[in-house]
Amino acid sequence: MSTDKKHDQTKTLDLRGLMCPEPVLRTKKILDQKPEGAVEVLVDSDINVMNLTRLANSLGLSLQSKQSDKGYVVVIESKRDSQESQESQKSKLSKESTITRTSRESETTNSKEQENHAGQTKKTSVVFIAKDTFGEGDREFSVNLLNVFLQTILQAGHRPQAILLANTGVRLMDPDSSIRKVLDDFKAEGVEVFACGLCVEFYGLKDKVKPEQITNMYAISEYLFSADKVISP
Amino acid sequence: MRVPYDNHDTDKMTTSNNESSRKLTANVKAAGCAAKISSIELKQVLSSIPRTQCPELLTSLDNFEDAAVYKITEDIAIIETVDFFPPVVDDPFLFGRIAAVNALSDIYAMGGKPVIALNVLCFPTCDYPLSVVEEILKGGQAACAEAGVTVAGGHSIQGPEPVFGLSVTGIINPKSVLTNGGAKDGDVLLLTKPLGTGVMLLGLKGSALSDLEHKQLLDSLTLLNKRALEIAKKYNVNAATDITGFGLIGHTTEMALASGLAAYLYIDDLPFFPGAIALASQGFVPAGAYGNRKTFSSYVINLEDIDVALQDLLFDPQTSGGLMFSLQEEPAMRLLAELSAAGLTASIIGGFVKGKAGQIEVKK
Repeated sequence: MSTDKKHDQTKTLDLRGLMCPEPVLRTKKILDQKPEGAVEVLVDSDINVMNLTRLANSLGLSLQSKQSDKGYVVVIESKRDSQESQESQKSKLSKESTITRTSRESETTNSKEQENHAGQTKKTSVVFIAKDTFGEGDREFSVNLLNVFLQTILQAGHRPQAILLANTGVRLMDPDSSIRKVLDDFKAEGVEVFACGLCVEFYGLKDKVKPEQITNMYAISEYLFSADKVISP
Repeated sequence: MRVPYDNHDTDKMTTSNNESSRKLTANVKAAGCAAKISSIELKQVLSSIPRTQCPELLTSLDNFEDAAVYKITEDIAIIETVDFFPPVVDDPFLFGRIAAVNALSDIYAMGGKPVIALNVLCFPTCDYPLSVVEEILKGGQAACAEAGVTVAGGHSIQGPEPVFGLSVTGIINPKSVLTNGGAKDGDVLLLTKPLGTGVMLLGLKGSALSDLEHKQLLDSLTLLNKRALEIAKKYNVNAATDITGFGLIGHTTEMALASGLAAYLYIDDLPFFPGAIALASQGFVPAGAYGNRKTFSSYVINLEDIDVALQDLLFDPQTSGGLMFSLQEEPAMRLLAELSAAGLTASIIGGFVKGKAGQIEVKK
């Protein structure tokens, strides 16, 4: 009984004839709404199947595909549902499906939403640090405060596009600086950390900063102007 | 130097008249160098074509060089290349510029100086207004002007889908030609420009890039490899190529095969565009990457040890990619510093050792 109900909820998207990356975008749009039951997608090339496999994996969903005379039939569902259906067990009780949108209808949703589709946050931020302290005050305290600030945003999961260091801020790149470690941690998380080349030279840190982390004022200003948000502690 | 492209933003076309609001990339199946015929298919076809080789031709077809070099005198050789592809972006000026920057790159990859170029154009004049062709050619002209190259003519035909590029002639001293085959044991590989244009261009097509990602992509696509080569020529570079349609693995394999060496790449040191890994992991992977994987994965000995998204990026076909230099470690570090100081992206990404020719080890 429950399996029948589940079958009723299967949404089918016919995405044949669409070119990359449309099949992925449209499937993602449906999957992002966390539909109950499975989503069945029709596509016409194995490239589409491989890309949908990556999409399903990134969302922790299971995917099965088979080739038919119509093209490729791809079924994406939650791993639990997939297990349950395979074992013909009772599927979880589900509400009436509210999402019956087909691929063609989904086109009409607003474009802003579509822009958010790659799952990346659309808003970009950069952290711009032009001194080696957090505000003015007791020096040692102010340096520690900057360290605490960077640790906090790292642990809170904020991943700015870049951390830009200028003026005495470049001293944070000194391996002897207590703050260097958290900057390396950001780097390991994929956040670009750049120091202003002029400043590195002026403060005599040229041997202590990796050349690939040195940048120029042009690049710094481009980062600042392109970001949606600049955070300057 | 980079030239701002802000006046030719990709949205511009949609604001002009109705006719031209038809997007340039609308019917393009594979964009940029992702449109390349796969290496396997190409080899199959070429094997049945009789070879011609004359003593003046300094490059061999066997070594997959970026361009042909023909010796005129002891001190002068000419370098010939042609490169064209369907639109990668909707803005026609920008497309023209990217296609030209990409075509000119083959001359730089041989160590040469491009001097004259001819336009190669295919265009459906019924589908788009002529102003679109004009913009494409202006874009190509702008890149050539920046490179100091004279556009001396060209050839245009009607066709179902727009295609643009250049045939470029460059000059070089025959003794300083940089080929794929010159890499030496112990060399390290230095790459300019970030990797992942194929994935990023799919993201662009799907409106999935942030403004900053969009900008970083276009900055890289429109950046001539001229400056990078000029700097690199001051150092003892043993081999060079540019990373284009066959992706990082394909071009590294070609260099390794031509040089009779095994290569290694440090996966954590590869300079991917910010956002590229996330896009690849969600299935923004161009068909060309799957083709490259098919052709070249047998050369990589430990591919399954790394994330699928990173694997895809290793095979991702690059449009207007960076130069890859093979040189000893000590000059490489100085070259890295000088390129960085000039504001260019540069990274040491691996190197060559004695071993099975063409084999690539991906190290963590």
